[in-house]
Amino acid sequence: MTKKNLALNLLAAASAACFAASALAQHKPEDLVKHRQAAMSLMGWYFGPIGAMVNNKMPFDAKLAARNAGYLVTLSRMPLEGFDPSTSGAKNTKAKDKIYLEMDKFKRHMEKMQTEVDKLDKAAQTGNEADIKVAFGNAAKSCKSCHDDFRAK
Amino acid sequence: MHGQRDAMQGGAAHDERPVRVWDVPVRLFHWALAGFFAFQFWSGETGGNAMQWHLYAGYGVLSLVLFRILWGFFGSTYARFASFARGPAACLRYARQLFSRRPVPSLGHNPLGGWMVLAMLGALALQTVTGLFANDQIATQGPLADLVSDAWSDRLSSVHAWNFYVLLGLVSLHIVAVLYYRLVKGQNLIGPMFSGVKRVPAKLAESAAPRPGGAWRALIVFAAALLAVYLVVQRPF
Ligand code: HEC
Ligand code: HEM
Repeated sequence: MTKKNLALNLLAAASAACFAASALAQHKPEDLVKHRQAAMSLMGWYFGPIGAMVNNKMPFDAKLAARNAGYLVTLSRMPLEGFDPSTSGAKNTKAKDKIYLEMDKFKRHMEKMQTEVDKLDKAAQTGNEADIKVAFGNAAKSCKSCHDDFRAK
Repeated sequence: MHGQRDAMQGGAAHDERPVRVWDVPVRLFHWALAGFFAFQFWSGETGGNAMQWHLYAGYGVLSLVLFRILWGFFGSTYARFASFARGPAACLRYARQLFSRRPVPSLGHNPLGGWMVLAMLGALALQTVTGLFANDQIATQGPLADLVSDAWSDRLSSVHAWNFYVLLGLVSLHIVAVLYYRLVKGQNLIGPMFSGVKRVPAKLAESAAPRPGGAWRALIVFAAALLAVYLVVQRPF
């Protein structure tokens, strides 16, 4: 490889890296907002029926509970990347801008929720309704404590 | 301290007579509501599985509030709104002596206290009705949330969340006022809410016209309130 080729290659690699990075950052703020709201909505979609079951508002269905809890494990990993500082001041969002000033705290809330959802999944796989109820309650509290801090009422 | 004040009034205590001002339904309503309010505060802030109990207890509060509104028209003398919703002149006259240490007794609610009661009942009505349509974006929704669009349910949830602070402010003011009357004006308002009996100067007592609401009427009105809440929540038709 000639020196010139090396330089060209480096240049290409560097620009590719830049491009990849900028491609990530290129999401428009409105799309990021849509992304995180979609992720949250899906969590609500699969979370709700588990709550309805353990609070006697619909018949208990161990299979459905296990399926939903399994989905939630994956879903709970999704919303974080939608909370990008570029969305501060965005329209149509209830996310408070202080998220980007207190990112550590926000992430701790996310991780806490993921831990509780993992526990809910474990309980749901055993099919024991009493255990699911306890795990559901704790997971719901982890949603609420983040909403109380970072979601406008 | 009480004795001292009585002495200052030249033995007013001797001319005091007991008058039954708060009927049993009003007293039961009051203390049940206080308990429910504390429970709703706790369960609403706690979330999780407590939310289901927030709804069940919410139906209880709704029944109580509805009962009290009806009892404001059909209840005993001093339970009626007409007896304590006073005009601006009476309120102003009363307000002028509010900060003097001299007690100015009233038979039922005093003019300002009457409006305080109406304010609390109004805020409670708003709180309970918005709760019916609210959702918490997690896994709980009020029994009527499905009747309105998501946007309206969210708006009413916001009202439910903010109006709670209004209620908390009113309740705090209510408690501070009762303590102020006890400690500064030497008027015990707490005892009568347990016993139903207020001791007032003889002259005022003579003008009293306590007409009981009647236990049967109270039961019928309460049953009507329960039935209305049941119909709204369960929507059997
Ligand atoms: C780390 C913080 C955090 C946690 C944990 C969290 N949320 Fe959220 N959630 C938010 C924020 C912030 C918003 C507002 C997003 C926006 O409007 O852009 C939101 C919005 C929502 C919405 C409304 C979405 C929409 O359409 O606007 C739902 C539904 C929701 N969350 C459900 C849940 C559920 C269910 C859980 C728990 C399993 C949960 N959230 C956990 C922060 C969190
Ligand atoms: C004295 C009456 C009540 C009080 C003091 C009260 C108080 C509260 C509080 C403090 C919250 C938490 C709000 C927040 O997260 O910031 C809440 C939430 C909620 N309440 Fe009530 N509540 C009352 C009655 C009711 C009734 C009658 C219902 C319905 C039947 C109801 C349904 C709900 C629902 C669905 C939520 C979740 C909405 C949200 O979190 O924004 N409440 N309530």
